Amino acid sequence: MQTYTYTRSQDLFERAAKVIPCGIYGHFSPAPLVPPTSYPFFAARAQGSHFFDVDGNEFIDYMCAYGPMVLGYNDPVVDEAMIKQLHEGNTMTAPAPVMVDLAEYLVDLVPVADWAFFAKNGGDMTNFATMIARAATGRAKIVAIEGGYHGVAAWMQGSGHYGVVDEDTRNMIRIPWNDAAAFERALAENPGQIAGFIATPYHHPTFVDSALPADGYWQRIEQLCRAQGVVLISDDVRCGFRIDLRGSHEHFGFKPDLVCFCKAIGNGHPISALVGSAALKDDAAKVFHTGSYWCQAAPMAAALACLKELVRIDSPRVTQAFGTKLCDGLTAVAESHGYHLKVTGMRSMPFLRLTDDESGMLHQRFCSECTRRGAYFTSHHNWFISTAHTDDDLTRTLEIADEAFKALEGGR
Amino acid sequence: MDFEAVRARLNLHAVLPNLEDVVRFDAEMAALVERARITIQFSVRGGPTAFVRFADGACTVGRGPGAGAKVNLWFTSPAHLNKMFDGKANPIPLWGFHKLGFLTKQFTQLTDRMAHYLKPTDELLQDPAYLALNTRLTLNTAAFAVPDLLAYDPEAMKFRHTFTSGSVALKVLPDGPSVGLLLGPDQIRAVKGDIENPSALIAMRSLEIANAFLNGKMDTFAAVAKGDVEIWGQLPKVDELALVLDRIPKYLS
Repeated sequence: MQTYTYTRSQDLFERAAKVIPCGIYGHFSPAPLVPPTSYPFFAARAQGSHFFDVDGNEFIDYMCAYGPMVLGYNDPVVDEAMIKQLHEGNTMTAPAPVMVDLAEYLVDLVPVADWAFFAKNGGDMTNFATMIARAATGRAKIVAIEGGYHGVAAWMQGSGHYGVVDEDTRNMIRIPWNDAAAFERALAENPGQIAGFIATPYHHPTFVDSALPADGYWQRIEQLCRAQGVVLISDDVRCGFRIDLRGSHEHFGFKPDLVCFCKAIGNGHPISALVGSAALKDDAAKVFHTGSYWCQAAPMAAALACLKELVRIDSPRVTQAFGTKLCDGLTAVAESHGYHLKVTGMRSMPFLRLTDDESGMLHQRFCSECTRRGAYFTSHHNWFISTAHTDDDLTRTLEIADEAFKALEGGR
Repeated sequence: MDFEAVRARLNLHAVLPNLEDVVRFDAEMAALVERARITIQFSVRGGPTAFVRFADGACTVGRGPGAGAKVNLWFTSPAHLNKMFDGKANPIPLWGFHKLGFLTKQFTQLTDRMAHYLKPTDELLQDPAYLALNTRLTLNTAAFAVPDLLAYDPEAMKFRHTFTSGSVALKVLPDGPSVGLLLGPDQIRAVKGDIENPSALIAMRSLEIANAFLNGKMDTFAAVAKGDVEIWGQLPKVDELALVLDRIPKYLS
């Protein structure tokens, strides 16, 4: 099986590094791709479940643009709606009617939602949610989970990291995942001071296994929030529409006050949403929060079309089913070579890890060998499944994994 | 712990151990102390202790009291010690006056040579031998600073929880030098040389790349992307180690 080379990607990166900090920044940085030389840095085009890099290499994409792509690249229904709105008017002096259509659709789709608000990125919405919680309660502190990711604003990052000062995180209380007693302690130690509790529906940090909520965990958290007047915020940015179209909280059986969506909502078009309960609508109105492109009409048209398509094809069922077949298949291939592949998290966005080596180096080599053969796997982040992944993709992926394990065997 | 106290720890525990390598890799310095048999104790009131031992043509630097020390160099405070490392103060010899000749001649020559290797210029780095030893000493200093930074530097302490198990190796390819950090819940230890099965590995492709990388003279992200610097294993340890290492210039610039 031929392995890929990345001459043009590397050349482009050389140019990029001269004029762009990091060359490629943020979560697209090559730094966590191990080794980076096994990965493409620049994509030229994409279609369905595949993308093609600037060297002409084709990949079955299991990162789906780190989540946004859920129906497949260039989905005709979504893109047609987006292009139609683009031609009618996109960034204008006033919002287009599609904003109301989209808000109404979300309010109908998500049972806890009485209103919707739109922006661009997930971090816009998690930040807005905490501001609403503070406005509504008159309190300052926010409880979040250790290792939980909610974006890149200073309060969302850890103290001691570049650009973050102690004051930025002074009102953040981090507690372990799945530890309702820790939340109880935080409430007791900070009486009348906690405005909000923010967490993802299940714990999906990078570099380590994902963890589903323990039985009764969310129900206890919700109960404590209700008793103490704490705003419960579900950060459904990554999971949203890949577990339950009504919001991932419905799958896990709890009712948040605010739900943050992004990623899959627009199939790659730039939009995020916050939905909330009627009780918080006035507070959401009072908090001033806006951006130059937050009322762009074309991404809203894309999101409306995307959501309707997700409902039409019952996308969580489709992505969970494919993810299960993929994970089962890869686990079996690993076992046939004497390796042990552990799968955690929901199968529509699974985290995989070879447990035969504590350092993770073996798993990094496996993912890189697969990528060099056309199945784009990262070793540090959960993968994403789209409705565009096919059985042919699955068959090819398992062949690639088999070859990758053979390539590893020399280094055992 | 205040600035001078942390700096004193780094001087004794991260800079001073480089004497071992100067004796080992600089033939002139090796000849200078070839016949020396002496242990020198460094004591700082309200601060750390360390010793330098010369025996059998080798130099060994260790933490704490050195058994059989013939000379005790006393410093009235961490700031006093730091001034000596800056060449602006002298220690107070408490005992071992009969060894003052060694202190003022051979030992001073040796520490001067170490300082020479730790203060590179572009011109000096053109010399392959200088480049090799400067890189080695810089790597040592980085690794040996980590335990004290994680224990005492207010910013680095925030990352202590990441370094409670496993190990991190830093290696210059193809043939070294290399150092390792052995991590534990109560103690972190830096060691020179290769370590087995590290949890995380930072491998630099050549001495030239390592030197530029360690001295902050290259775009580190670009170096990683191009494969000039390879990072494997538990990346969060590497990410947070970078934050810790970035504290070193605050104390040792």
